[in-house]
Amino acid sequence: MKFDFNVIVVQLPWLLKGAELTLSVSLLGIFFGTLVGVALALAQQSAISPLLYFVRVYISFIRGTPLFIQILIVFFILPSIGIDISRFTSGVVALSLNSGAYISEMIRGGLTSIRRGQIEAGRALGMPRPLIWRRIILPQVFTVILPPLTVEFASLLKYSALLSVIGVVELTRTAQQIIAATFKPIEIWLTVGVLYFIMCFALGVLTRRIERATTIYRLS
Amino acid sequence: MNLDFTVFTFGLPILLKGLGNTILFCAISIVCGFVIACLIALCRLSRRSFLRLPALWFVEVFRNTPFLVQAFILFFAFPRLGVRIDATVAGIMVLSLYAGAYFSESIRGAILSVPKGQIEAARALGMPYLRAMRCIVLPQSLGYLLPATTNQIIGVIKDSAALSVITVPELSMAAQVVLGESFSPVETYVMVAILYWALTACVAAMMAYFERRVAAAAVATTSESARFATAGKSH
Repeated sequence: MKFDFNVIVVQLPWLLKGAELTLSVSLLGIFFGTLVGVALALAQQSAISPLLYFVRVYISFIRGTPLFIQILIVFFILPSIGIDISRFTSGVVALSLNSGAYISEMIRGGLTSIRRGQIEAGRALGMPRPLIWRRIILPQVFTVILPPLTVEFASLLKYSALLSVIGVVELTRTAQQIIAATFKPIEIWLTVGVLYFIMCFALGVLTRRIERATTIYRLS
Repeated sequence: MNLDFTVFTFGLPILLKGLGNTILFCAISIVCGFVIACLIALCRLSRRSFLRLPALWFVEVFRNTPFLVQAFILFFAFPRLGVRIDATVAGIMVLSLYAGAYFSESIRGAILSVPKGQIEAARALGMPYLRAMRCIVLPQSLGYLLPATTNQIIGVIKDSAALSVITVPELSMAAQVVLGESFSPVETYVMVAILYWALTACVAAMMAYFERRVAAAAVATTSESARFATAGKSH
């Protein structure tokens, strides 16, 4: 048993390219996930009961089933209803739909941190509901949920490894391709593990920074 | 889009067998993970840095890398060390370690949630450390521990789906077997999703039941001690 450092050095540029794709797929995932999350949170505030019921079932489904299966369902269901999209887009859709459910729960929690008086004041000044959401509620909710949002980003970054099964050539898939050519699984997987660790650990540090910076906005 | 209902009749027995395996593997991993987590949590709370730092790194490594990559590393590490190992054993091992790392954080939080004076009092009365943990700290921290563990157990069940990639014969692997016979991926994976959904819902309901029991017990003890307190005053 010999550890081959040479293969790591030679393949590192390819792995870094894969890491770049991992980062971009999870960034897109968290961005569209936030949009989905806001939409779900708004729907939950509405008084239309079928909509409310749908959102509740949707969140329960996303939270109760593995992301692995959700990715495969999205990947196979979109072509079968006539939507032809790339593996990358399908991966982004799956990640967004998944994180959207979790983010909507965060927003719901964040909404409790807003004093009722602020909304009442907005109403008293004659602001319409959408304006109250845009100017008063959402900006405050986002400062409060920013730390959990970065945690969710780190989590998406880790779970994006599952996109390798539908053939998105991100870090994990790149590693599989390199291993198929070089037969050095341990060297490559350990390097991949280190790359993921660096990205997630850096995000963890960032989370703690943001947490400190946003404490002043929190209700005590 | 036409739904292929024949998959339901012929695929279901295979999927149910896979579900049984998923339950079995997860149950073993959760029990092993809990034992690992207790050790890790106690090490992390230790004053000795040769216990605390390795435990901290263990948790950081498992929490900051994808489960899939952990599974691949462990799966390929054994043959490299000259040990032949079954994919299932490797899968249960990595799931236990992964669960252990996550559980240890909530156990640590639960231990810290109990006021320090409690364990100091127990130690002052001559109670050994582990006994004080079990008799004094554990019962008081259950109210904190159970809700946190519920989410983590459900997380372990969901993450176990990725083990199919290293050919562990659980529910997701069973889906691939069904797909090999009839190519109806949407129906098959939706069915698999529903089975996972049912499993996680059952686990959540079970844990909620335990939580209610613990809460009821806590209320009973508090009211009892309150009665003692008032009884004491009236004398």
